[in-house]
Amino acid sequence: MPIGGLVALDVPRLALMMLAVDPGLRGIALAAPAGGGKSALLQGMRELQPDLPWVELPLGCDSEALLGGLDLEATLNQGRRVIRAGALARAHGGFLLAESCNLMDDGSANSLLGALEDGVVRIEREGLSLRSPAEFRLLTSFDPAEGAPRAHLLDRLGMVVMMPTIRASEARASIVRRHLQPDTENWRDEAQLLRGLIESAREQLPLIKLSDSQRRELIRMADALGVQGHRADLFAIRVARASAALGLRDEVQREDLELAARLVLLPRATRHPDTTQSAPPPEPPAADSSPPPESNDETEPDADSVPSEDQLELAEEVLESLAVDLPDALSSLSFARQRSGRSGSRGTTSGQRGRHVSSVPGLPRGQRLDVIATLRAAARWQRVRTRRRHGIALTSDDFRVKKYRSKAGALFIFAVDASGSMALNRMRQAKGAVHALLEQAYVNRDRVALLAFRGHEANLLLPPTGSVELLRRAVDQLPTGGGTPIAASLVASLEVADQAKRRGFGNIVLVLLTDGRANVGLKTDRAGVDTEVKQLARAVAATGIRSLVIDTQRSFLSQGNATQLAHALAGDYLYLPNAQGTAIAAAARQVASA
Amino acid sequence: MLTHCRSGHHPPSFGGDLQQTFPFTAIVGQDDLKLAVLLSVIDPAIGGVLITGHRGTAKSTAIRALADLLPPVKVVAGCPYRCDPTERSPDCPHCSNHATLKSQTHPVPVIDLPLGATEDRVVGSVDLERALVDGVQAFSPGLLAAAHRGFLYIDEVNLLEDHLVDLLLDVAASGRNVVEREGLSVRHPARFVLIGSGNPEEGDLRPQLLDRFGLHARIKTLHDIDQRVEVVRRRLAFENDAAAFIASFDKEQNVLRKRLQKAINAKPKVTLPDSALMLAARLCDRLGIDGHRGELALTRAAVALAAYEGKKSADTDLVARVAPLALAHRLRKDPLEPAADDERVKRVLEEALG
Repeated sequence: MPIGGLVALDVPRLALMMLAVDPGLRGIALAAPAGGGKSALLQGMRELQPDLPWVELPLGCDSEALLGGLDLEATLNQGRRVIRAGALARAHGGFLLAESCNLMDDGSANSLLGALEDGVVRIEREGLSLRSPAEFRLLTSFDPAEGAPRAHLLDRLGMVVMMPTIRASEARASIVRRHLQPDTENWRDEAQLLRGLIESAREQLPLIKLSDSQRRELIRMADALGVQGHRADLFAIRVARASAALGLRDEVQREDLELAARLVLLPRATRHPDTTQSAPPPEPPAADSSPPPESNDETEPDADSVPSEDQLELAEEVLESLAVDLPDALSSLSFARQRSGRSGSRGTTSGQRGRHVSSVPGLPRGQRLDVIATLRAAARWQRVRTRRRHGIALTSDDFRVKKYRSKAGALFIFAVDASGSMALNRMRQAKGAVHALLEQAYVNRDRVALLAFRGHEANLLLPPTGSVELLRRAVDQLPTGGGTPIAASLVASLEVADQAKRRGFGNIVLVLLTDGRANVGLKTDRAGVDTEVKQLARAVAATGIRSLVIDTQRSFLSQGNATQLAHALAGDYLYLPNAQGTAIAAAARQVASA
Repeated sequence: MLTHCRSGHHPPSFGGDLQQTFPFTAIVGQDDLKLAVLLSVIDPAIGGVLITGHRGTAKSTAIRALADLLPPVKVVAGCPYRCDPTERSPDCPHCSNHATLKSQTHPVPVIDLPLGATEDRVVGSVDLERALVDGVQAFSPGLLAAAHRGFLYIDEVNLLEDHLVDLLLDVAASGRNVVEREGLSVRHPARFVLIGSGNPEEGDLRPQLLDRFGLHARIKTLHDIDQRVEVVRRRLAFENDAAAFIASFDKEQNVLRKRLQKAINAKPKVTLPDSALMLAARLCDRLGIDGHRGELALTRAAVALAAYEGKKSADTDLVARVAPLALAHRLRKDPLEPAADDERVKRVLEEALG
């Protein structure tokens, strides 16, 4: 589909054009549901910049494909190392298309991060030590329904674009029409027009004026939205200038700033701007010690730097105009959720997936040959074996095959009943248990998620993580009281489990801390609550999630609700109203290893 | 010969020349980070620096900038491990085989250990080409050898593969690297300052490795708008014309280089009064820190700070200043303790001093 032929994708298309104008923007990530036109749009860059290198990365490619490695055939033929460049190096000077960056394995993502940061691939593997230039622009996409990509990766890309969902039936019809009869002359002309526009914008770019106050404005907005780090400030400035250049203007205007805020700052927001009037929230309250000198003018700008009235208004106006989209960004991107991207590996070394950990003697039947290790094994015998004219004398004893270690950690989902008077107690127990599990996370490669439910909904307080640091922050102020929506908690747990499964977690344990007395349904009135919970519980059991219900009903008034819940979940039941976190953790671990 | 070289093709540049590094003195703010790194240059025995904090806060920029500041050292001429000529290492295969050693000056290495590195490149392995072409079993030294007497930098250290962490812990503890693989048997000295950086949100660091680091600098996004504007201004200036930007910081860089050399020379003469030693011990005791690495790192850092500031003695005020850097990461983690680790250190510090 020619890029000119895509309907109603003006902001994403503009973003692509800005990336074409300024390579310093590093890359673009498109967020859209499946079938939202992501691929077609990203492929459109090829039309905009037909002369630059173009490398497409298949999902699930290994580190060797990314980084490069030994060229087996040439090495054996020539009797010396011959290196084959990886995708990162081949994309140097051009574009790297890697779709579904949220499903990328951690090893590949780390390699990608490093190259994006430095514009260089460093290879220290399998006997090779080299660096080659890799200044590419990354084109990537993800479907938010499949989980957010690592914040680290998004942070290194200039723009994150939420693709509009096209609702208007007219536009939909026109998409279909264009697909049915593509390649009309008109769109070819349009692509040419766009190329010309990019060309002149690139010439214009160094001349674009961005005033000091506009620069301050962008940075102030970044601060108000709680954007971490300073990369976003730079990217925002670049987007504002590129936007002005594409508008063929010589100075940045309000619309450019707005676009910069939308494409750079908004996706990185970690909070709603109006909460910033008081001090920045994530910091713990300072003790009575005197404040350190460097943080003196955080809230009181000195006289020189007080921005004029209309500038302040501008920032507020822009933020306001974006406010509609903010909740979306906060909930569907990884910045605010502080998802821990790392999923590790433990114990079981098996299969042909995961990370290459060691190589052992064996024949490469159905397994992958480790060329370097094989050559090393053969090397010491070359003198005594009769050599052919070229190449190396190999015997079957020399063959080494790769052993992989795949992700095998368990995921513990703690669902805590935050309703009723015992909520705080349960929360303390859960926190202790999560902490105890995380302390062992290094050994077991386990991850823990924590969600609380009360009133009408369940909230994911801590997405699957191995970090104690995040736990501490996640559970500071927790509202308690209200109804007990067990159904909502089961649905939320299923969602978390579903995402974890896509990332390779096979062993998922749900730990429910509750008295089991559900009284708020999802789609039903009070009378249907129990039936609904049972149905959902069976659904949880059917997906292979193992459950543990911790009954926290203190008195002997228990009517066995929690037992019934455990039964419906086909899980274990424990009566532990006053248990220490460590006891709960031990019980959970037992369920995981059962 | 790399097969991907394209002659005649000129890609658009990203701006900053990748061969040139952003000057250390041009980094805005982040004083803890800068101080911790400089102290470990003055005294490598402090035990390395861990830097954690938000994304995009100059963590790796600062370390890459370090190489330019380091005063060169004397090394044994011809020794592949760049041994110290004044201190013959029994582990070095070169120096223990030569009766007389000549010396020459050499820059201090700052070696990058990328996350995707494999074990054979970290510890060293058979030189494949020589083995294939000449049939000779030669050792090709790895990154640990390259980092000897210098700095080994691991970005995203919290994501490092477990088997590499084990290996690093082992070498860091013993100061030598022993390779027994593929018919090779080699040992060589490997003493280096370990510098790690990472974002704790991506996963925690293994406790044993955490404890190895002498100092821990936590950094945050700057909230001062003026400072942030300055960060952006400098970065853009660097990307526009790296050479000119670097030249504009020549003077500051030179001043810092001289100051570091002076501090390194002065350090052996700095005294540590009993009061300072007592304070260090009391702090570690009250904070319930296991082992003695805490006190050692704390007092060494205080001495290095005294040398850096041209003082003759490392008094209690200097111990107090470096205490959060040296101790905060050694506290036992307590999920119910609301205050951050460095706040706890400051609180105990006030009690101990008051």
